[in-house]
Amino acid sequence: MKHRRMSDRLFSLTVYALLSGLALTIVLPMMQVLTISVSPLAVVNRYGFHLIPTAFDFSGYRQVFHKQTIWTGYENTLIRTVLGTSITIVMTFLGAYPLSKRQLPHRAFWTGFIVLTMFFSGGLIPSYMLVKNIGLMNTVWSLVLPGAVSAFMLLIVRNFIGSLPESLEESAKIDGANDVYILWKIVVPLSMPILATVALYAAVDHWNAWFDSMLYIRQEKKQVLQLILRKIIIDGTADPSTTGAADAMNAPTNSQAMKMAALVVTMLPIMCVYPFLQKYFVKGTLLGSVKG
Amino acid sequence: MATKTKKRAVAVILLVTMLAALMAACSGNNDSPSASAGGSSSGTAGAKSTESASPAATEEAPVTLDWLAYNSYGQPDANASLVQMVEKKFNAKFNVWYVDNQKWVDQLNVKFAAGEMPDVLQIREQIPKYVDNGILAPIPEEKIRELAPTYAATIDKYDPNLWNAVKYDGKIYGLPSINLAGDYPTVVLWRQDWLDNVGITKIPETLDEFEAALLKFRNDDPDKDGKKDTYGLSSFAIPFVMGAFGYPGNNASYVMKDGKITFAAIQPEMKDALTVLNKWYKEELIDPEFVTGENTGGYWADSQAMYNGRIGLTGNGMFYQWRNELFGGDDQGGGQYQNFIKAQPNGKLTFGKPPVGPSGKSGTLQWGVNSTAVGITTKAAENPRKLETLLKMLETTFTDYDYYLTVLRGNENEDWKKVDDTGKVQILNQATSVADLSKKGIQVFNIMNSPDFDKKADADLYKFADSKKTTGYPPVIAPAVDSYAKYAGDLYKLATETYIKIILGEQPVSSFDAFVTKFKANGGDEIEKDVNEAYNKMLGK
Repeated sequence: MKHRRMSDRLFSLTVYALLSGLALTIVLPMMQVLTISVSPLAVVNRYGFHLIPTAFDFSGYRQVFHKQTIWTGYENTLIRTVLGTSITIVMTFLGAYPLSKRQLPHRAFWTGFIVLTMFFSGGLIPSYMLVKNIGLMNTVWSLVLPGAVSAFMLLIVRNFIGSLPESLEESAKIDGANDVYILWKIVVPLSMPILATVALYAAVDHWNAWFDSMLYIRQEKKQVLQLILRKIIIDGTADPSTTGAADAMNAPTNSQAMKMAALVVTMLPIMCVYPFLQKYFVKGTLLGSVKG
Repeated sequence: MATKTKKRAVAVILLVTMLAALMAACSGNNDSPSASAGGSSSGTAGAKSTESASPAATEEAPVTLDWLAYNSYGQPDANASLVQMVEKKFNAKFNVWYVDNQKWVDQLNVKFAAGEMPDVLQIREQIPKYVDNGILAPIPEEKIRELAPTYAATIDKYDPNLWNAVKYDGKIYGLPSINLAGDYPTVVLWRQDWLDNVGITKIPETLDEFEAALLKFRNDDPDKDGKKDTYGLSSFAIPFVMGAFGYPGNNASYVMKDGKITFAAIQPEMKDALTVLNKWYKEELIDPEFVTGENTGGYWADSQAMYNGRIGLTGNGMFYQWRNELFGGDDQGGGQYQNFIKAQPNGKLTFGKPPVGPSGKSGTLQWGVNSTAVGITTKAAENPRKLETLLKMLETTFTDYDYYLTVLRGNENEDWKKVDDTGKVQILNQATSVADLSKKGIQVFNIMNSPDFDKKADADLYKFADSKKTTGYPPVIAPAVDSYAKYAGDLYKLATETYIKIILGEQPVSSFDAFVTKFKANGGDEIEKDVNEAYNKMLGK
């Protein structure tokens, strides 16, 4: 008995040590990022770790917020995240529900058809031409429609709905409910965990995406936050001699602080949302995958 | 409920998607120009037809140019006064493209593949690649000399070789541009206060003098803190030593030797340079941290080792970054100099000269004046007026000082003003970022910098630069070859690793010969053969 408790304790100790170590590897860089973002250049250039701010200088944040486009960028990212996530939820759900029904004709074929897209895609240039030719260029639709349904998510949702007891729907049907009513009143409320998962995945993806915005959006005021921030950073570190701006040759660039400030600015909102959705995140993925 | 209408909408979208994909696949080959216009310019098609109908009439409709001959840090506002001014002056209409400045090549490749092309663009990709893919059109040299004589003469003056850099099969495919800063070698910087503290009055000039000074930096406590915590140099100053033996090469860069292109890293002289460096390392003159570089983050020219008082000799940066001569007013010197002073308030810097080696050679790395060329596409070549307009604009950039200042810096007395009648310029929008400048149309239409006008506008800075100018090794202007892209990464790694190991003493200096054999066998010879062939082809030989 005693021996077992000993090994138990040893085991917990190891686990805790490992987990603390893991947590440290996440927390320390974040502290470094936060500190550098508020530090003057003299501190940034000093050797060693910078975990606690010793002097304050908010020029990094000033430079980041100096651009008006950052606000349009925020707005565009919010719009795209909300719109994109809603579309994704609706489409994924409407796609997954029929696929979860055994009586759907050619169910295996349709499932296979969707799985296929997980492994094969047209590639960059065909995607570009497609978006261009259906006239989505330079609109928010080019950001939310091409990736609206992820095959992977669709399958997870399909498995989740498939695991709901059939008898629930049958009893509703006996009570006279039609298909839409069943979907809305029975299936959707029961699927909240998986919906939250899909929403979170989609929202994080939309929040972080920038490549499609660079490709499809021609006007700066329609571009998303991540792209704008990327530009601010590049702009701040651009070599003055290549830009021909001799006037910029005299300004010392506190590019580190600016980069870190940009990081903090982008990270914060999604970090605020994450803790509240995380429980669904873990639960939903697990439910969908295990009870397949 | 909205689901039904939504479903219908989805069906429509799906249908349209399939149709569009089909159409795109069918029309992929004939590259219809009407589909390739960059977007907002509604008048493109109309303007085009009238242009071809009535050539060389004075009351012509303005020529429309899809413009990408600028650094696209921000999107220019089409209604900005500057844009309007240039449009009126050259009877042109600009449809300024906006692509991501950093992902420029990738983004353009997608657009080219989809059949979209600007008219005028900066050439940031290898010219042969663009020419073979039918993107760049040749620019006749007579045309350049006829319409932009001052420009052509300026290029001739700085480096006639620049014309070769834009050639392919003997034809010119781009307008070479000059980066004036590249005319100045990277700097050699000493800690003046350290030199004073160890009793050296003359700034070292030869390798032996360098070694003597650096030995004192290491052993005589130049920072007077009673601790032996200083070194002589770190990674930035290592090319000085190689320069003293004829080639600043610890990577995969080319040198021109007897009219043939070869690699700097495998030259026998480098063995002597490594012998010296290895000796210096044993004498503890080189900061052991040099392996990871003396810039530990931030702007590339920052030397944290210098800021932290660890070393007393550095380089790599440019004169404007390290300028320690103040021009009065609230001027605080170059950016890196300001960083240095903030970290070492009592520190003093002096510009030196690269060490002279046993055979009298010396020099630091130099960027060279070759900068991004500007070319026209095959689409623009269909209408000769487009090239003419471009060349006229270019010539004006090189001849009309006020126009140049306006397109480069903005409006007079708002963004800049002249301080005296020599034409010296003071910048009034100092804190504005490049992106904000682009928005106002600044630095969009100058096409390139005029070095002579830059010197005139920034007279103080370039006077300072000229007074500190040393000798340098500019890069060889060589065409890109596929074998280079294939092997250069590995060769670069091989060269830097071997050099570091020899300096650290992990490998004897005698292993240099084995390295040369390996370097040649692993692609070095192949690249050399290809690049010399391509070089001759470039010149049309």
